[in-house]
Amino acid sequence: MSDKTFDIVIVGAGIIGATLARELSAYALRVAVIDKASDIPSGASRANSAMIHAGYDDQPGTIKADFCPIGNRLYHELAGPLDFTLKECGSYVCGFDDDDRKHLEKLLQQGRANGVPGLEIVNGEALRRREPYASAEITHALWAPTGAIVNNFEAVLAFMDNAQQNGVELFLETTMEELLLSPDRGEVVGIATNRGRFFAPVVVNAAGVNSDLIARMAGDESFFIRPTRGEYYITDKHVGHLVKSFFFACPTPKGKGITVAPTAENNLLLGPTSTVQASRDDTSTTGPGLAEVIDGARRLVPSIPLNMAITAFSGVRANPDTKDFIVNVLDRPTGFVNAGGIKSPGFTSAPAIARHLVELMEDRFSRRISFIPDPAFVPERKHIPRFEQLPLEEKRRLAEADRRYAQIVCRCEMVTEGQVVEAIARGARTVAGVKIWTRAGAGRCQGGFCGPRVVEILARELGVPCEEITRHGGHSRYLVGKTKDYWFRGEK
Amino acid sequence: MADMQVDVAIIGAGPAGVAAGIGAREAGAKDVLVLERDWDLGGILQQCIHPGFGLHTFKEELTGPEYMHRWVVRAREAGVTFLTNSMVFKLDEDGSLWVMNPERGVFKVTAKATVLAMGCRERPLGAINVPGSRPAGIFTAGTAQRFVNMEGYMPGHRTVVLGSGDIGLIMARRLVWEGARVEGVFELMPWAGGLRRNIAQCLNDYDIPFYLSHTVTRVHGKDRLEGVSVAEVDENRQVLDGTERFIGCDCLLLAVGLIPENELSRMAGVEIHPVTGGPVLNEFYQTSRPSIFAAGNVVIVYDLADWVSQEGVAAGRNAALYAAGALKEPLRRIDIRGGANVRLFSPQYVTAGEDVTVYFRVLRPIEKRCRVFADRGLFERKHRYVRPGEMNEIRLKAEALQALPRSVTTITIDAEEV
Ligand SMILES: Cc1cc2nc3c(=O)[nH]c(=O)nc-3n(C[C@H](O)[C@H](O)[C@H](O)COP(=O)(O)OP(=O)(O)OC[C@H]3O[C@@H](n4cnc5c(N)ncnc54)[C@H](O)[C@@H]3O)c2cc1C
Ligand SMILES: Cc1cc2nc3c(=O)[nH]c(=O)nc-3n(C[C@H](O)[C@H](O)[C@H](O)COP(=O)(O)OP(=O)(O)OC[C@H]3O[C@@H](n4cnc5c(N)ncnc54)[C@H](O)[C@@H]3O)c2cc1C
Repeated sequence: MSDKTFDIVIVGAGIIGATLARELSAYALRVAVIDKASDIPSGASRANSAMIHAGYDDQPGTIKADFCPIGNRLYHELAGPLDFTLKECGSYVCGFDDDDRKHLEKLLQQGRANGVPGLEIVNGEALRRREPYASAEITHALWAPTGAIVNNFEAVLAFMDNAQQNGVELFLETTMEELLLSPDRGEVVGIATNRGRFFAPVVVNAAGVNSDLIARMAGDESFFIRPTRGEYYITDKHVGHLVKSFFFACPTPKGKGITVAPTAENNLLLGPTSTVQASRDDTSTTGPGLAEVIDGARRLVPSIPLNMAITAFSGVRANPDTKDFIVNVLDRPTGFVNAGGIKSPGFTSAPAIARHLVELMEDRFSRRISFIPDPAFVPERKHIPRFEQLPLEEKRRLAEADRRYAQIVCRCEMVTEGQVVEAIARGARTVAGVKIWTRAGAGRCQGGFCGPRVVEILARELGVPCEEITRHGGHSRYLVGKTKDYWFRGEK
Repeated sequence: MADMQVDVAIIGAGPAGVAAGIGAREAGAKDVLVLERDWDLGGILQQCIHPGFGLHTFKEELTGPEYMHRWVVRAREAGVTFLTNSMVFKLDEDGSLWVMNPERGVFKVTAKATVLAMGCRERPLGAINVPGSRPAGIFTAGTAQRFVNMEGYMPGHRTVVLGSGDIGLIMARRLVWEGARVEGVFELMPWAGGLRRNIAQCLNDYDIPFYLSHTVTRVHGKDRLEGVSVAEVDENRQVLDGTERFIGCDCLLLAVGLIPENELSRMAGVEIHPVTGGPVLNEFYQTSRPSIFAAGNVVIVYDLADWVSQEGVAAGRNAALYAAGALKEPLRRIDIRGGANVRLFSPQYVTAGEDVTVYFRVLRPIEKRCRVFADRGLFERKHRYVRPGEMNEIRLKAEALQALPRSVTTITIDAEEV
């Protein structure tokens, strides 16, 4: 495992790492992004509500309040050129009584102070005219037209894909183990990983739920992360019509509460709960958690049927004890940048945080590295064709040009072999990776039909036996061996 | 690829679709086209390599592939055209359909009548709300069956089966044959989901433990499955405190129910019954869209492929008659209603035009002499038992239905002790 040399190493390929990598790729810099996962996104950026918040939630004066509305605008601007799915659905915060009404007023004022456009409080009847399935108990709601939904997988892939097209290198299954410092410990010289050393005068800590541990390596003890789990249900698309917009309830002492939202693909997303846990990577779901999700969701939309879940999942929030994002450059060691503790609305804020970080770095590191714009920078990219969404004539044309686009792989989300092959060409290595890129296996049968086919295509394209294909990297082998070999080896 | 025009188009080449092709040709349809998305014909029976098929149709015991081979030969002789690797991805309200095929690209088929024969799919883990992690090693029993029987791969070394549907029982035995260990089959209900004969032949004969009123309460393991928690449940299916225990395993198979596959039907605006999950039919196998017919597991999940084939022939025949403008006009409409012990049934209504078999499943088993009946003296048969895992038949005569007073608009079917 040979050592490598870069100008900047970013630790973590979540939405923060990806948006920052893409910003930096506009400069003539050698940038590496490393992530311990086999597929990205893997941390909080994989399992969240995917809401592009309007920006009324955060108190004026916090970093969050500054970044969130700007991030919101950037997603609207970049969805086209970077080709990720963004649905302009708007959001409601729903109130059930007078206290809630006061809270909505406060949010309205706060939002206006943060520069959020179009906010308005509507009464229950007006809400139900637009959203007939909303609970009859809702008396008022704050409407935010700029609230939007993204496909969070696609968004992270889009930023990273574009960064890679512009020369950034991504190293997966690569874990940062140590920060390398100059002998006097005053300067960053790189990092050590399980796959060798990466030398660089600048290291960015975008390690999400591990960001406090990475900061410790630089001697920064200013914050620590309290991992907080959020559990969700995804429903079948058959009930996707129950809401058009994103539904929040007024927060209770327990937190922002359970939301009901359409996803970018017209499923419903119900959740999240909020439970502090010791583990930083335990993304299991629990009986009580999922029960809370159903109760909370039905408080907003009572007619959500119980038997329409297709899957459940959970994500871990990187909640810092300081309550606000940690976005800064350390004075010592020189060359260490924090973008940690990025809790909600971190997904929304990421593009704004990335721009801010580049300014900070230009300002502070002009003597360590030079920020010269790269004339060859291409600011846009295309996603893999979304076969299901193409008009019939375009389906025909695509299938005519490449017959693999006429071979079905995933029947629920109508994903073709052409898409799966393209996903592998762009970096998918596991069954989960193919799902992230193409949605194969993300539908109502959850991979029952396409699982065997995806394993076969992965094995063929990567030139390895089927038994070596994993579900999501590590030891997650999909199959345990061939039937007859198995018998002969007598593995019991 | 040029678009096509046919008299009868059939979606799916399992037992229902292949038989529908024969029925349509025999009733005089000229161009009968069966579209199948898999690379071979036979539907689910391709992977059912155990014996037990054909006792009704051929009076001998065949494996699934043997059974389907005979039907396919018959269909070819009858002049049915098959297109494999042909996924129907869109169905219009008039029954014309859009197909994708890697040799022919994307094309449209216009048909005078269409038969839905898409079969069913298996309920995944997410649909039954088992909490825990999501490691590798969790498969629906049918997916595992495909891996083992068709592709030659093992899903795991130590297996727990959740649910006692037939496919799960058959796969438990199959994995033992392949040298794996099966720790047990766990069923939430106090009775088995599958056929009695499969409990005996697949579990008892191989000393595989069978636990009724038990469920999996949690999945453990980050990368590959490491084990599951199981527990006993009370009559309200609530976990009994203190009964939870851990079972180490690297594979969990799910046999927790089959759901008729009706995405295309919904697209075409076909009315779907909320309980069966399949199209609402009359005795002609006709859906709420008059030119669209349906048969087999796409309508209601059958126990025996022989029955599916039988239904398929009839649906194909009626589709051909419709295509020729010769299907009987409905005389009247009589809705069928399920009594207290009926979980689901099909068809949902009859028009007194043709003799009809109503298939139904009971909610609760009756393990003593009982009668299966339709009221108004239309049908009665005594049974030694009725069980949720085994489908019941009620035969209604068109003549008897016609003789009912005009004021009768519903008839009730049920099973009860005598
Ligand atoms: C339940 C939930 C709901 C949310 N809802 C929303 C929402 O609706 N809207 C919104 O704007 N925000 C939301 N958020 C917040 C948002 O998801 C996060 O702020 C954002 O995804 C954080 O991105 P990140 O890149 O900082 O972290 P992550 O996405 O967690 O990325 C960090 C990466 O670092 C890698 N890593 C960690 N340690 C190492 C190491 N030692 N070596 C190498 N790699 C390492 C990890 O593998 C990971 O890929 C939600 C969060 C959660 C959990
Ligand atoms: C996993 C499994 C195992 C079973 N094992 C047994 C058993 O051991 N014994 C027994 O008696 N019964 C068994 N059954 C039930 C038995 O399979 C059914 O009675 C019978 O196969 C149903 O026939 P069918 O034609 O309705 O459906 P299937 O056999 O499921 O055939 C449906 C066909 O339609 C095709 N299709 C679906 N959608 C499309 C589309 N959009 N375009 C083109 N083609 C499409 C499918 O590829 C498939 O080939 C099993 C069922 C399952 C699901």
